[in-house]
Amino acid sequence: MNAPGQLAALRSMMLKEVRQTVRDPRLAVMLVVGPLLQLTLLGFAVNLDIEHVPTVVADQDRSAESRAMVREITAGDAFDLAFATPDAEHAMAAVTHGEAPVALILPRGLAEDLDSGKATALQVLVDGGEPNRAVIAQNALSAYAIGHSLQLARQRLSARAAALERAPRLPTTTVVPRVFYNPTLDSQIYFVPGVAATLLMTIILAVTAMGIAREKEVGTLEQVLVTPIAPSILVLGKSLPYAGLGLLDLALVITAGAVVFDVPLRGPLSLLALGGVLYLLSTVGLGLLVGTLARTQQQAFMIAFMVILPAIILSGFMTPVANMPPWLQPFTAFDPMRHFVEILRAVLLKGATFTDIAPQLTALAGIGTVLFASAIRSLHRSLA
Amino acid sequence: MLRLRRRAAEPEPEPTADLALEARDLERAFGDNRAVAGLSLALRPGELYGLVGPDGAGKTTTIRLLTGLITPDAGVAFIAGRRVAPGSSETLEALGYMPQQYSLYGDLSVHENLWFFGKLFGLSGHAMRERRDRLLEVTRLARFGDRRASALSGGMYKKLALACALLHQPRVLLLDEPTNGVDPVSRRELWDLLHEFLHEGMAIIVATPYMDEASRCQRVGLMHRGRLLAEGRPDELVRAFEHETLLLHTDDRDALEEDLASHDEVLAVSPHGSAVRVVVRAGAAEAFRRTLPEAIRLEAVAPDFEDVFLARVRDAETASGVGGPRG
Repeated sequence: MNAPGQLAALRSMMLKEVRQTVRDPRLAVMLVVGPLLQLTLLGFAVNLDIEHVPTVVADQDRSAESRAMVREITAGDAFDLAFATPDAEHAMAAVTHGEAPVALILPRGLAEDLDSGKATALQVLVDGGEPNRAVIAQNALSAYAIGHSLQLARQRLSARAAALERAPRLPTTTVVPRVFYNPTLDSQIYFVPGVAATLLMTIILAVTAMGIAREKEVGTLEQVLVTPIAPSILVLGKSLPYAGLGLLDLALVITAGAVVFDVPLRGPLSLLALGGVLYLLSTVGLGLLVGTLARTQQQAFMIAFMVILPAIILSGFMTPVANMPPWLQPFTAFDPMRHFVEILRAVLLKGATFTDIAPQLTALAGIGTVLFASAIRSLHRSLA
Repeated sequence: MLRLRRRAAEPEPEPTADLALEARDLERAFGDNRAVAGLSLALRPGELYGLVGPDGAGKTTTIRLLTGLITPDAGVAFIAGRRVAPGSSETLEALGYMPQQYSLYGDLSVHENLWFFGKLFGLSGHAMRERRDRLLEVTRLARFGDRRASALSGGMYKKLALACALLHQPRVLLLDEPTNGVDPVSRRELWDLLHEFLHEGMAIIVATPYMDEASRCQRVGLMHRGRLLAEGRPDELVRAFEHETLLLHTDDRDALEEDLASHDEVLAVSPHGSAVRVVVRAGAAEAFRRTLPEAIRLEAVAPDFEDVFLARVRDAETASGVGGPRG
């Protein structure tokens, strides 16, 4: 068949894919409603900001000072009073039974000891089952204790200074942090790019892989393969429509991220689009590869699942790559999701330029080309 | 792709002139199973060939080898004078293929399926519309143009599949069990359609397990365990049959059939109404008669195509020392 013929075959192949997608309500939902719903759910659920930790308080001192301390601790966003009990054992039981992750015990004689200038201690019981929350709760209470001590020290000093008729002097050092790109340390702004990359990979890989596997399973591929369509045209026809849908999904997710989570868009859209196209080269290529390896749709789904999970873990979306064991870190370079997450964060949050993200773009182009070429090769081989 | 080319020095095999389809010593194994074991075929334009054999005889593998969907371990095939190779567009353009299983898009309409496969064969505009309308007319599917393929009956679906395979006017048509799951009326229609296209010079191979369909072919090949046991015109194969066919009338058919299974001289046993139809080895009829109880009445009848086939398979199994179930 001549070149115009192949081009016409490509057009009708793409038209057929679009028709089938539109006619399959499950697929349409998966491609449009799915990303929005998942972005919203994941965006809200995947939240590292630890706030409003339920806290049990056992105030054994029952003094004006102890009551004031409890008020101050539970007044902020960090801790919510779950319930108060006079019994320290009861508070401890609440933590061990999982009723509350934190218990605060104010010992008897606290006010007296403070008044007489003795060192005092607040006892804090923390459920370490969730280390992140435990560490943050611990730090918040330590910061409170230091602040409280400083305040007491200042009061004493002021009183003495007044008696001596001198100005009080208390030298202190504090940290004044200035956080770039995400000044309020909002973890959703950090997570939305990761969620976008994950969604795009999951959906496009699954849809492409299932598309090929379905033709095999149903038997239509056999009929297509006895036509003179070139294998590369067949692959293009089956992947271009999904790549287009993928770009649409990307736009959808970024818009939703901006509207729902106030994720900024500081860099140029064209860079995002370029990154998206290169990322889709990888995901569609991976999908085609999985589809040619699998014999049924179910197999394709299983293989896709086994590919997606490590891709997410190695992407650095959940835990930074720098925190992974050194032997594992080199493998993340082969994960297209890692590069795309970095591109999204750089462009959305930092307003990166082309030169800033050139290494990631190059890596994506390389991985994508290899995956796509392997997919065409594997299809060729499965035909022979 | 890298492929070691052994015997590269040997000259490229040449097709025989004037043949629409030719296969020479095709071999293909799947693991230990020799699905096709040295098979040769030759069809002239306008010839209808029946590839007859039980399930597992290698019919589908043979047809898929001819399409180029699978490659032979040995041997060559030519379609319209061109060598069959995977993805060779020259042979594919001359070929129409209708697989045994469902192969059309159920979620596309009759029109859309035809349009899609037409485009994949490089048809366009006027030619496409003309051929589509003609095929819809002869298959009497014109009224169902907008119906989705999944909503068609078995017979209508097969006719649509046939139309899709015929759109590009192939010179060779390969049909793998085209009447499987089709009602008798549609079956008849399908065969009438084939004869129509035959007149236009198309060469057609029909693989079928049904003996009655074999007799509709101009030439048949009896296929068994990857080989052709016999080949020729159906009536000639029956005429040349040396064994004898008998009808045994009995009151207890089941008991008699069981009894016959142990007879070495009996090549085939099949039920025939209340009687039992047997094929007895040539010259052994008299001896066989004496072993039967008095109450059973014997009647000599003319052999038919099924007798020929069953006996040939039995002969082949005896020759290769394979027991297998008798009958």
